Amino acid sequence: MTRLFNDPADFREELIEGFVAAYGRLVRRVPDASGVMAIDAPQPGKVSVVVGGGSGHYPAFCGYVGPGLAAAAVMGNVFAAPSAEQVYRVTKAVASDAGVLYCYGNYSGDVLNFDMAELRCQDEGIDVRTVRVTDDVASAPRGQEEDRRGIAGDFFVFKIAGAAAARGDTLDEVERLARKANERTRSFGVAFGGCTLPGQSAPLFTVEPGRMELGLGVHGEPGIQSSYMRPALEVADLLLDTLLADAPPDAGSTVAVLLNGLGSTQYEEMFVLYKDINRRLQAEGLTPYKPIVNEMVTSLDMAGCSLTLCWLDDELTALLDAPCASAAYTNM
Amino acid sequence: MSSVEGADTVVRRWLALALESISAHEDELGRLDAAAGDGDHGATMVRGLRAANAALSTATGSAGDLLSAAGGAFADAAGGASGALVGALLTTTGRTLGNGPYDTASVVKALQAALTMVMRLGRAQPGDKTLIDALKPFVDALAAQPADAPLSVAWRAALPAAMAGAEATQSMIARRGRSAKLGERSLGHPDPGAVSLVLLLQAADTVFATS
Repeated sequence: MTRLFNDPADFREELIEGFVAAYGRLVRRVPDASGVMAIDAPQPGKVSVVVGGGSGHYPAFCGYVGPGLAAAAVMGNVFAAPSAEQVYRVTKAVASDAGVLYCYGNYSGDVLNFDMAELRCQDEGIDVRTVRVTDDVASAPRGQEEDRRGIAGDFFVFKIAGAAAARGDTLDEVERLARKANERTRSFGVAFGGCTLPGQSAPLFTVEPGRMELGLGVHGEPGIQSSYMRPALEVADLLLDTLLADAPPDAGSTVAVLLNGLGSTQYEEMFVLYKDINRRLQAEGLTPYKPIVNEMVTSLDMAGCSLTLCWLDDELTALLDAPCASAAYTNM
Repeated sequence: MSSVEGADTVVRRWLALALESISAHEDELGRLDAAAGDGDHGATMVRGLRAANAALSTATGSAGDLLSAAGGAFADAAGGASGALVGALLTTTGRTLGNGPYDTASVVKALQAALTMVMRLGRAQPGDKTLIDALKPFVDALAAQPADAPLSVAWRAALPAAMAGAEATQSMIARRGRSAKLGERSLGHPDPGAVSLVLLLQAADTVFATS
């Protein structure tokens, strides 16, 4: 249930205002646009990474704006892609001479609107490139990786792109590294309960008691398969069986790990689950690198979690370790 | 809609009635969308139409100009894929119609241009379970009417094709848009975008019949 709101139609506008009021030390409002930009953006000679999507997924997307991470986030209404006009305005506000990289989850509404803005910016001489996050293995089979949607893997791709941009890499290089991070990132999730849009009295979908949905989407789309509820140990194996079967080629043995809460799953439960995930990773000969157990891409008040693995190499590890500051993630 | 003076009033009345009609069906459209998507289609359409009507309260110009302005406001306020696609549908229709004439042949030409634009932007084909499955049969049926038929008559004759098209989406499996990710779960429910398009076309029919 979403309980705290005024007019549901004003939800996005009010959350942007409150977010900027709270985190003005890191971000400011993009004038006349639904978005926020880092206090230090744009920086001459440095690529601006622009992220975005519908609201309802905090910390995605505004929580990842700040020095060393995204230069700006374009914020749509709850679960709706931002319009091309808003993407364009935010891009104009943060475009530097080094160019702009769009980075967002692969959903048709986002693709349409970001693509339209990209064309308009290119017509005006701004060099804009795009890397779409496609980490959700449940959304399309192997061989059709580019059709997959983006979920919690957003975080690793944004972090790596933002760090490359902050280091002063060229647009070609920032694009290459973001693409590489995406190609080496996989996620899979389980849902135990639906989520409710602000102002709505009923959830978008329900999960029957004693059951869980496999392959949930962060927009509350029902999963691809329903299963009986299992103990944490079995859920850990189910998540890892799926991800390991989908490991990218030349994966290596070091993985960045994100166990992500979807909105109303307890942290303690996730630690119980992580104990079993960690055990299984070790048994598989994989070394978890600075694992994160946290809410990084949510879906309003949805119950459930997802596991993301990003197979690292030296250049990706260096970017993951680079300093950054944002409302949701700081690394110093 | 035979005189240039009357056409702009028709556009204003149509968008006002469209908002009324979509608002009355908002919950139903949301439920259809929730079957295989994120349940916000009704809310998105209402948001877009409110903005389109608000834009027209200050806009001036020909019927073509008004449709174009309404499309821009719709796309920006609605967001998402539906916002961009319905916005492009309105804007392209408006730009192609321009300052008229607004007879059946011109409207057919404008809607054909809009259909092409929506298919290109959404990368959707007939049978993909999208609004195209109502729009294309409608445009084809309208094009099949005698070119000298009054628009109100031709429009009404073409409407059943749109309704049948939307109905047929029930037995389709989504291949584009967010519901594509759910494949067969989309079976048995009509596409909400196709259903809302029919509501928009029906509102136009009501306005034509009384203008």
